[in-house]
Amino acid sequence: MSKRQLAMVMDLNKCIGCQTCTVACKTQWTNRNGREYMYWNNVETYPGVGYPKNWMELGGGFDAAGDLQPGVIPNLEAEYGVPWDYNYDELATGGSFEPNVEPTWGPNWDEDEGAGLFPEDNYFFYLPRICNHCTNPGCLSACPRDAIFKREQDGVVLVDLDRCQGYRYCIAGCPYKKIYFNPKISKSEKCILCFPRVEQGLPPACAQQCVGRIRFVGFLDDEEGQVHKLVHKYKVALGLRTEYGTQPNVYYVPPTESPAKFDANGKIIEGSTRIPVEELEKLFGPDVHRAIKTLKAEMKKRKETGESELMDILIAYQHSDMFRLDNNYYSQVAKENAQTPLAPLDTRYAAGKHTKPAHEMKFFQGGDFTAEGDH
Amino acid sequence: MKKAASSIIAAGVVATSVMAADAAITASKVDADLSRISYSSKIWANTKFSDVVLYPQTTIRQNDKKANEINANNKAKKAEVAAVYNGTDIAFMIKWADATMNIQTYNPEKLLTSYKSDQYSDGFAVQFAADGSDVERLPYIGMGSEGRPVVVHLQKAAQGVFESNGDGNVYYQLNRNQTELFGDDLATFDRKVKNLGSNDYERTFISEGFRSMTEIKDSSSDSHARLGYKAGSWMGTLSRPLQDEYANLDSGAVPVAFAVWDGEKLGRDGIKNISQWVSVKLDGKPGGEALITALAEKASGDAAKGKEAVAVNGCVGCHQVEETDAPNLMGPTLSNIGGYNTAAYLRESLKAPSAVVVPGYNRNAHSNYMWYTEENGKRTSTMTDYSWLDDETLNDIVAYLQTLKAEVE
Repeated sequence: MSKRQLAMVMDLNKCIGCQTCTVACKTQWTNRNGREYMYWNNVETYPGVGYPKNWMELGGGFDAAGDLQPGVIPNLEAEYGVPWDYNYDELATGGSFEPNVEPTWGPNWDEDEGAGLFPEDNYFFYLPRICNHCTNPGCLSACPRDAIFKREQDGVVLVDLDRCQGYRYCIAGCPYKKIYFNPKISKSEKCILCFPRVEQGLPPACAQQCVGRIRFVGFLDDEEGQVHKLVHKYKVALGLRTEYGTQPNVYYVPPTESPAKFDANGKIIEGSTRIPVEELEKLFGPDVHRAIKTLKAEMKKRKETGESELMDILIAYQHSDMFRLDNNYYSQVAKENAQTPLAPLDTRYAAGKHTKPAHEMKFFQGGDFTAEGDH
Repeated sequence: MKKAASSIIAAGVVATSVMAADAAITASKVDADLSRISYSSKIWANTKFSDVVLYPQTTIRQNDKKANEINANNKAKKAEVAAVYNGTDIAFMIKWADATMNIQTYNPEKLLTSYKSDQYSDGFAVQFAADGSDVERLPYIGMGSEGRPVVVHLQKAAQGVFESNGDGNVYYQLNRNQTELFGDDLATFDRKVKNLGSNDYERTFISEGFRSMTEIKDSSSDSHARLGYKAGSWMGTLSRPLQDEYANLDSGAVPVAFAVWDGEKLGRDGIKNISQWVSVKLDGKPGGEALITALAEKASGDAAKGKEAVAVNGCVGCHQVEETDAPNLMGPTLSNIGGYNTAAYLRESLKAPSAVVVPGYNRNAHSNYMWYTEENGKRTSTMTDYSWLDDETLNDIVAYLQTLKAEVE
């Protein structure tokens, strides 16, 4: 267990499934270098097969006795989906517009399908998923090389790419299937909770870009933080499938606000709600009942009195309140570890303002293509 | 009379199996340069190949459900191994049958379609003891043990593997679709990217137990491995200096171990077949008899009595002893222990369980099953010390444990 734990809360009542988080993550991290097929952040429609396909049935995690359970490593073509592009070049010469790979599966194959009968009781909601940066990670426990570690300062779970040998037991061990095999470097990679951004006091890209402002980020032990309040004070934010025993650190405010059902004549059934509470219980455990009760009570209180701290938090007025990331804390950690200054960016992952000048790119000099640092 | 007496002594020697044995492999001396030797070299045509049996590694089983199902009843494989040496280098060739050629591939030019998430490669490894002089206390076969390091040379059939850091030039890590390039410029880009990939997945590791295995990346290890497939068999060669900072093989005989992986059966890491430490006699160099004898030792005890003693002493309380016993996470599975461990190791493990502590699972994976306790970085095995057993019983147990091994396929 790490000294502190960074956590994220996602308010599912407000997720509109726009995939802006997915795109933010993809352009930041996974559109290159063997990661093209990966979605460190994805938004799936629930109920649905999810991403990768049927991830909830692929094993991993721990049993009640604390033993790591065997799992399955998904097949790229069948369960993740091969990313495809289009033949733009051929269009210029009069070809027809075709994908370059016959699409067989993708992360959003069953988007908005949901379950139930239209129009009586059909329903679905969106479930955005990133790595849960678990307190007891299944991936870490599965690694025979001790290549996965949990950062002491904030509990972010990372892969040491120097030690990783691409065995992929971590993928079998993660019950959320949120660690991926990079076939180009033959090593495993995963969501890094945008630690290079976080260390600079910026929230992860998915949270920053979220148009519905559903994501809160902060340290669980920061009692002034909204994350702490949602998880520990009001207890309305719950972990996903906690029975896997990994103690996930991404928490969800369950979707309480779904429309009423219709009867056979198309009339609204008063007091009914389309999302079956049993489905929510499946995802968030029995505590979901209490969380829903609290949410309803606070909503009522807000309506009646105009005051509710919980509702104020969930309205998400200010990014500065939603993201309580302490740049000074990280500077302090760096100082204690005699890393002054803290490496601001991991150059394995990005070219940014702190990337060494030697790696700056110069294109089309004198009509030719050159890039410094070239082999 | 004198003759009769000596034949009686000889018979006695046979009964306790301490008669001078032949080395498992004899490395003949050659004059040729071995530093870049390949499996197609003519040298091998004149070299004697010896059989080495590789047993399925069952000491620990990882959490890959499919792989565990496929590999549940693996048999031992027979490989043919030859060795040669000259004044500076030693070279090995290993041939083993494998009906399927499994290569892990990645082609940057067809990056969208060459992706595979669950593809594994065939390969082989050769392991040397950093110090093989104490023949009774060799490093643990599974990648060494604390204080007894090994150096492992690995060659996998993997193509187009890129360094995660590359040369730090992130521009060539871009997806070609995300570059601003078209036409010839894009072709140049593709070519440069392709050149950054390696088609030779050769790695050298030092290790004091499998969790500690660390790749040597500073080019301080100069080895050369090759791998080729022909007519249903893999042929692998490895050449390395007789002496470098990781191992000294310049003696009469050295312990060497081999491993092979089958990508078809999702083999990687511990999902492999491994040999026991086998003795390699460097023809013409003096010494090494003690090692050859120790590695060939068949315990003279009564295996049937040993099996009884194992039952009486409650070994199954912690170990899965035979393949047919219930799995037990409390200690290493012993079902192939006779295949890949020496009699000396088995005896040492019974008498001094903490001399070699098998690293076991990630402690987080099975937190209720403590293979060892750790104090100030020193591991102490949780196994009962059986040094109180009399030598005869110990010998019987070792004889029984030596029978625990899969059949040869």
